[in-house]
Amino acid sequence: MAECVGGSSHTMDKSITLPPDQIFRNLENAKRFAIDIGGSLTKLAYYSTVQHKVAKVRSFDHTAKEAPSDKLYEISMQEEVTARLHFIKFENAYIETCLDFIKDHLVNTETKVIKATGGGLIVCCPLHGRGCNFVLKNIPHEAFVYARHADSEFRFQTTNPDIFPYLLVNIGSGVSIVKVESEDKFERIGGSSIGGGTFWGLGALLTKTKRFDELLQLASKGQHTNVDMLVKDIYGGSYGCLGLTGDLIASSFGKSATADTDFCKEDMAKSLLHMISNDIGQLACLYAKLHGLSRVYFGGFFIRGHPVTMHTITYSINFFTKGEVQALFLRHEGYLGAIGAFLKGAEEDNPNQYSWGENYAGSSGLMSVSPEMNPLQRARSGTFDMLEMDRLERQLVNLPLLQDPSSYIPDTMDLTEDAPAREYWLYCFEEALDGVVKRAVASQPDPQEAATRAEKFCQKYRHKLQTLRHQPL
Amino acid sequence: MAECVGGSSHTMDKSITLPPDQIFRNLENAKRFAIDIGGSLTKLAYYSTVQHKVAKVRSFDHTAKLYEISMQEEVTARLHFIKFENAYIETCLDFIKDHLVNTETKVIKATGGGAHKFKELIEKKLGLKVDKEDEMTCLIKGCNFVLKNIPHEAFVYARHADSEFRFQTTNPDIFPYLLVNIGSGVSIVKVESEDKFERIGGSSIGGGTFWGLGALLTKTKRFDELLQLASKGQHTNVDMLVKDIYGGSYGCLGLTGDLIASSFGKSATADTDFCKEDMAKSLLHMISNDIGQLACLYAKLHGLSRVYFGGFFIRGHPVTMHTITYSINFFTKGEVQALFLRHEGYLGAIGAFLKGAEEDNPNQYSWGENYAGSSGLMSVSPEMNPLQRARSGTFDMLEMDRLERQLVNLPLLQDPSSYIPDTMDLTEDAPAREYWLYCFEEALDGVVKRAVASQPDPQEAATRAEKFCQKYRHKLQTLRHQPFAYGSLTVRSLLDTREHCLNEFNFPDPYSKIKQRENDSALKYFQKAVKALEQLSWEDRQFALVRGVLAGNVFDWGAKAVSDVLESDPEFGFEEAKRQLEVRPWLVDCFDRWLERLKGPPHKCALFFVDNSGVDIILGVMPFVRELLSRGTEVVLASNSGPALNDVTNGELQILTERIAAMDPVIRSGLKEDRLTLVQSGSSSPCLDLSRLDKVLAMVVRERQTDLVIIEGMGRAIHTNYHAMLSCESLKMAVLKNSWLADRLGGKLFSVVFKYEVPAGKC
Repeated sequence: MAECVGGSSHTMDKSITLPPDQIFRNLENAKRFAIDIGGSLTKLAYYSTVQHKVAKVRSFDHTAKEAPSDKLYEISMQEEVTARLHFIKFENAYIETCLDFIKDHLVNTETKVIKATGGGLIVCCPLHGRGCNFVLKNIPHEAFVYARHADSEFRFQTTNPDIFPYLLVNIGSGVSIVKVESEDKFERIGGSSIGGGTFWGLGALLTKTKRFDELLQLASKGQHTNVDMLVKDIYGGSYGCLGLTGDLIASSFGKSATADTDFCKEDMAKSLLHMISNDIGQLACLYAKLHGLSRVYFGGFFIRGHPVTMHTITYSINFFTKGEVQALFLRHEGYLGAIGAFLKGAEEDNPNQYSWGENYAGSSGLMSVSPEMNPLQRARSGTFDMLEMDRLERQLVNLPLLQDPSSYIPDTMDLTEDAPAREYWLYCFEEALDGVVKRAVASQPDPQEAATRAEKFCQKYRHKLQTLRHQPL
Repeated sequence: MAECVGGSSHTMDKSITLPPDQIFRNLENAKRFAIDIGGSLTKLAYYSTVQHKVAKVRSFDHTAKLYEISMQEEVTARLHFIKFENAYIETCLDFIKDHLVNTETKVIKATGGGAHKFKELIEKKLGLKVDKEDEMTCLIKGCNFVLKNIPHEAFVYARHADSEFRFQTTNPDIFPYLLVNIGSGVSIVKVESEDKFERIGGSSIGGGTFWGLGALLTKTKRFDELLQLASKGQHTNVDMLVKDIYGGSYGCLGLTGDLIASSFGKSATADTDFCKEDMAKSLLHMISNDIGQLACLYAKLHGLSRVYFGGFFIRGHPVTMHTITYSINFFTKGEVQALFLRHEGYLGAIGAFLKGAEEDNPNQYSWGENYAGSSGLMSVSPEMNPLQRARSGTFDMLEMDRLERQLVNLPLLQDPSSYIPDTMDLTEDAPAREYWLYCFEEALDGVVKRAVASQPDPQEAATRAEKFCQKYRHKLQTLRHQPFAYGSLTVRSLLDTREHCLNEFNFPDPYSKIKQRENDSALKYFQKAVKALEQLSWEDRQFALVRGVLAGNVFDWGAKAVSDVLESDPEFGFEEAKRQLEVRPWLVDCFDRWLERLKGPPHKCALFFVDNSGVDIILGVMPFVRELLSRGTEVVLASNSGPALNDVTNGELQILTERIAAMDPVIRSGLKEDRLTLVQSGSSSPCLDLSRLDKVLAMVVRERQTDLVIIEGMGRAIHTNYHAMLSCESLKMAVLKNSWLADRLGGKLFSVVFKYEVPAGKC
């Protein structure tokens, strides 16, 4: 069940494309490090503080000796320190470079310990549970349903403040099925040895393809019906009396038992993928039913951003539960272990007592997972991925007057699903950018210095807008 | 889901080793054919009738002899099931065609994945129309049928235990259960009643996956060979274990280090080549564990505790039975047991047959496995005797006789579901098995002699007797090597097998003449014996009555020690027998409590399972019955429906009782007033299975509000039912006429067992 992502280091550029100080930000004040080292990806978490300016308003004092101003209040710029969580994901190949960089820049920390996890879900199922609880509570659109051929690949779920109980199915090398009942109560209720490692291991033996990603690539091009025995292969059609359609797989790899032909790699990989996804889907459904759970979150490297696996798992869950149970995936699934490990180490700071917000400026965001869509972009941005979360001043809860908090959606329009509206608004915000920059500069005491910063802001926001045009999610 | 067994035809000899007429028996009268064609095995079923001789007794009007014995021809129904490799199908169809004479059959019911493939061949060869039946329906029907009619059908598999198989006792209440059929894929079916079943789940990871992936990984195309490879492999070389990841167990989640974390996990990253055996083993574990887990989850979700596994993936393969059993134990922590079926391979054929035979109402009868005509279960340890397995895999037969009577539980069993008739399981008790097999072999010559003597034409009879002798000796040899061939091996099954074999060669009642002689002579002493008893005081009489039953029971041809004496000294008398009896205190002695009980109010009704003819029934049992009747207790005398050794049969007992009634007023009025009733047990065995008794008996027992059960004799009270718990008072009486058994029970030859039991809460 160790987490082992395909050894992508073979093909990927070893040089760090982003300057390290843009990745490992705020290292000076970093403390409480946690690291989650998987088979190919390392996830680093740390807690830091950010100093930034805030505009404060203060009412004028009537006792002041100066001539009373005609202004209602005074604005002053103050430095404020807020807490921020940094999560960075990078390939294991960079681990040495990264550690060197951290070492050089770690100045103020008094940290003596680094929480480490890895080896996948078995070890860290409590940690994953913890991490999972954290993102579900703090990131509004964390969970999504995957629908390959729908208008939008992802359908995000609205936050339900009542996240418990749920089932977490982590598909690493093997599968762990964890029932999460509360912040601290988890139980591994089941598992299976047929997981990502089986796909990879059997796939490697069958296709001589040693890389996980390539195996998935093969699978997405294959035809499982060439290898699998379908119901119609046995009965000549559907098996009506048992309610089995003709296209249902009766026996995975059933055709290779007797046929003397050679099977192509793609077909075998696809058959293997179906076999494993369906099996996990069925197990997850049975455990969900047995424990009366309707929300099932899937994670682990088998799932992580792979549309083929998300699709087959979703299909399988729909098939077995006839829609009663939904397969849910998480945007920050890869970080769960690191977040959990970090939370474990940071207990004295009580991170769970605060509300946290995703910092859009510092986070990389979810990438489109359709491999055919933009494989290059995917490969590149897979190199470094960041999530930053700000501690919010105040703890945030539901308005108690909401009629149904679980179905409440604040936004009137979902631009992810509404393409013309998206077009319009993205254009609108881009148009408005110049005006925003102008006003921002004007708000500052030193226009020269402000202009430089404004330029950086402008670049970053424009880049985000462009990103959102391609990846509205 | 389709049945596809590895194409074993490659290695096996194509010639039929048994003469076809020994396989396709009773074809002349065969009707209602059904066929189940799988990937490599064909199972044929037909219904036929067997004509065989039965000994009938008929009362004379006024002659010297008590009754006349006549041999009559009787026709009984028998079901034949034959399993053979697809390679033989043409030869077999030809043979059937040639021998099918009397049938009016127009249709053959067919099921199985291969049914459409051979449709034309069958229609052409047999001239019968092939009528396809639904596979799953047939499977379930067949499963219900064997579970109901074959007592030791289901077993638990334990590879390293003393006996490979632990058979389950019959539970008349077979529903609901889960059937997991592992063919190419897996079907998980919940069976709720005879006609109500639902496929609640399934999986595409089944036998076809093992075969298909196995073939791709190892280049081994044969299913059996893949299993062979798997049994030699080390899965730990291919699988990633918990300890491979964590260096040991993962305590906090309760995962041991040896648990498989990821099937084939090591082959993902290692660059080494993996050996075929290891990959096959890993694959087997992966599939078995997965099916095991799914089965457990479905069982839990539907609240079912009985899970039967079948399909070609399981069929007789110890490796798969072992891994499935292991997986079920692991996932349910023992709450659910993996059960397998002895006749699993026949289910489809049985079901298809039943579908076609609905107008004969086969489900309204009770059926019994005919040990003489059935091949029995083979040892599945491949290392044990691979040759034997390969050979006898060629043709396998199951024959079932329609029983005259419908059999049910004795309503007075305390817990029918936990009732086990047999006291000793010879499958698990090796020394006992050795002893009894030896004992039965030793006795064989005597049995043959008596069998011949019972026939009118000794010359002709000798030939048949020789055949009987060969067959039974062969069965004994088979049982020595495969004690589990017909379920748990017991003294009862050895005796029953002998009776089946005797019947097979038309020796329906070898003891008929001996019984007749003994009944005649004992009857002469009846009045004298009764008079002597009447002169005793009440208390002395009670003791004398018990001693009489015990002494009478010494007259038993079934026990070797006694039959020696009987044969050497025909004058061995009743009084002599009494002197031979152990003096009190007996080995098991509840007489004082019994006497105390008799001082109380009379029983409402006593059910008496009687044993031997002659002195036993006439001088031992009848006076005892007379006393019960005098006390105001109604008596139901239960005797065998058919002959077994010198046990008195219902037919004989009817005549005997009438004769006694003629000279004894108590018995006479008892009969007249219907306070003495004779019923048949439904059995033709020297032993007694209280879970398979005549339906009429059960009805009478209920109507009369029976509150006392008396069981007499070694076969019924010691070999069987010694530990049986009844819901009313019971009396078990026997004399140990076998020194080995006496030794086992801590006594000696002619030790007495007098066991009087009152169920808890009724003292």
